[in-house]
Amino acid sequence: MSSSARPRNSKGREMAKTLTLEDMAKYPFMPEAAEEVRKLGFRIDGLFEADYAPILDRAERRVIEALTTNPPEVRYDPSLYKEDVEMLSFPVAVALVTSLANEYVKRRYALAEARRAYELLKRESEEKIVEIARKFGWRIRFSGEKSGVIKFDFALNFIDYLRNASSFHDKDWKLINKFVINGEVHLSKQEVARLLQEEIRRYIEGKIDPKIKSALPEKIFERAEKIKQTYSSSFKELPTEDFSPSEAAEEAFPQCIMELYKAAQSGRHVPHVGRFALTSFLINIGMSPGLIVDLFRRSSDFNERMTRYQIEHIAGERGSGTKYTPPKCDTLQTHGLCPGMDDICRRIKHPLTYYRRKMRAVKAKRVKESKG
Amino acid sequence: MDTQAFIHERFSEFYSGNANGIEAPRSIENREFGFTLFKENMMVRHKGFINADELRDFIKRNAPSNVYYSTAYYSVPEAKMDEKGWLGSDLFFDIDADHIPAKCNKIHDSWACRKCGLRGRGPAPGKCPSCGNESFDERTWPCEICLEAARVETMNLMDILTSDLGFSFSDIKCSFSGHRGYHVQVESEEVLKLDSIARKEIVDYVTGTGIDVLFHGLESVRRDGGKLIVGPGLDEKGWRGRAARGTYEFLLAATPEDLRRLGLKKSIVDEIIANKDLMLESWAFGGPWNIVKGLGLKGWSKIVQRGVSLQSAKIDTVVTVDIHRLIRLPNTLHGKTGLLKVSFPPNEIEEFDPLKRSVAFRKGDVKIYVEEAPKFRLGDESFGPFKKQTVTLPLSAALFLLCKDAARVVD
Repeated sequence: MSSSARPRNSKGREMAKTLTLEDMAKYPFMPEAAEEVRKLGFRIDGLFEADYAPILDRAERRVIEALTTNPPEVRYDPSLYKEDVEMLSFPVAVALVTSLANEYVKRRYALAEARRAYELLKRESEEKIVEIARKFGWRIRFSGEKSGVIKFDFALNFIDYLRNASSFHDKDWKLINKFVINGEVHLSKQEVARLLQEEIRRYIEGKIDPKIKSALPEKIFERAEKIKQTYSSSFKELPTEDFSPSEAAEEAFPQCIMELYKAAQSGRHVPHVGRFALTSFLINIGMSPGLIVDLFRRSSDFNERMTRYQIEHIAGERGSGTKYTPPKCDTLQTHGLCPGMDDICRRIKHPLTYYRRKMRAVKAKRVKESKG
Repeated sequence: MDTQAFIHERFSEFYSGNANGIEAPRSIENREFGFTLFKENMMVRHKGFINADELRDFIKRNAPSNVYYSTAYYSVPEAKMDEKGWLGSDLFFDIDADHIPAKCNKIHDSWACRKCGLRGRGPAPGKCPSCGNESFDERTWPCEICLEAARVETMNLMDILTSDLGFSFSDIKCSFSGHRGYHVQVESEEVLKLDSIARKEIVDYVTGTGIDVLFHGLESVRRDGGKLIVGPGLDEKGWRGRAARGTYEFLLAATPEDLRRLGLKKSIVDEIIANKDLMLESWAFGGPWNIVKGLGLKGWSKIVQRGVSLQSAKIDTVVTVDIHRLIRLPNTLHGKTGLLKVSFPPNEIEEFDPLKRSVAFRKGDVKIYVEEAPKFRLGDESFGPFKKQTVTLPLSAALFLLCKDAARVVD
């Protein structure tokens, strides 16, 4: 499903206000800014005339700032860049990132722009925040609701909340740890700004669309190539969960997987989610489908053909070809498969990460033993 | 006569007279249907229908043992799974007695070890006491106590869906499954596009999973040079109020054993028991938080956490998160009971009598041989218990035992 809401005008009457030029320099991804860019008659293929040099330079800086700051953040400094340059350089920077066609750069850039917006939003008035949030289709209003001693600034429809907060992992973002009444989540200004950061990040990622790449002028590619040559060391490959140590070590299994593993070994009933978690875990640490089939052999309803089919499906050898990874820790918790945390668990969010960490320790121990 | 053939014939008769009671689900043309048939004991999936008549005809012609449809909407429901084109999904909750501890202790259920054949009552043990084997054949029965427990959970769920999540009764469809539980379905435009991750957050919200009571009003504050504990009040909204009401409920019934099981020290447990009445009365004046000396934030967290679990709704978590789920179609027969899945307005749940409203067969008697069955009620009449005996029962009661595989037809 597509989860990024496109900014649109809210029906609310108070929304007649428009953003100022300063706002558009701060938040150049807003549709008003794009409209303003059009009104100015700005066209990307005219970009290489001398007049536009400051815009092109600033666009390049935006991308470079995203790549070289940590955590990534594009700067906002009105003393350094004029408002129109700040606004116009954004679509050009998006074109540069698009032409780079690198997933890591795309994500990093979107995050850097979104983090900048977050810093700016935190200092805005409540009215301005509501105005911007509603442009993204959020159903948000001023709250003033009190819970104990806390007074909340905003009330946000819980579906709009979930769309943005469900990627956050801290327990204070869990819906159940929020004050929820009548379909609305009551939030502080800072929390709303943080959720908007997430909405903006996804929105910008969505704008970096490889399909429009071919429509970009040649000169954009030349500039992009320059960035690539200078900063290619900052282009990282995205980390993947795909690793396959040659020997699967039971002693490095997290407790949740160990319990499922033992249950399967002894032919006890393993619920569907548990089977999926166990199988995908074993496949990802490099166990062969054949060995996994054998593991389920003692199950009372064992059906070799069916079991093999399911395992090969999870391994990506059938169907859509997707190799599945096991569910994250909080999903296992939801389904009652988490037996409780140990010290490693508290520092990780995924059973495979647990395995990888423990495996390192196990290997170190083995080396030590073989030497001793 | 062959029992399966007998059941199939009765289902067939039922559908030829009553298929018109089957309503098309919303946007029937976008739903996937699935059936289990008496002949081949397997699931037929990926079926699509363009209107209610076509669906009813199919059901009349085949008289399936079970009829399911997808909570999801697809562009091409008949296509293979990854080519269907997912458009959205209703928000669906399954409350099944299997997931809920009840006062009957499921004594009506039975199990048999698949290795040594040892039999026992109640839910199957982890290991066979005789041979140590860990897999069993289980037979479960819907009993009034189990169903009552499921009703309480369903009411908890509906309270959360309406007061906290803001759905109105008109968005919610409530049904008895025809076996051991209830289904609650939210069909609002709002929820259609929610992905599995967002649905998981909703599951955690209704089940109380991942709650930290310190976010819900329980805290230690400095006052007048000392430390004081404050906590949520009974009338508060959302989980704050629910945590408080659950805590009250727990304290009201708590035995020393219950309190010790939370990991509280014996001296604290004794103090709580000695001051119980005072603690319960204190809710009117700021709560019981500072009555027992030595019971600090940590101890209270454990108690309030226990209160949360009393107020949560024990749903089947997997079902709600699955956005491709097939669920039973209302007004069709349950193959394990011969009872109907029946829907009712959510505000009628308190008076709803599942074992009366779900009775499908109202005429005729059948002679059957019953292997073993606990006492059960259908409609206004009670039957059994039976053990190795031949009896003549009204059709609905006989079918119930036949579908449960606890009896066979006697010619």
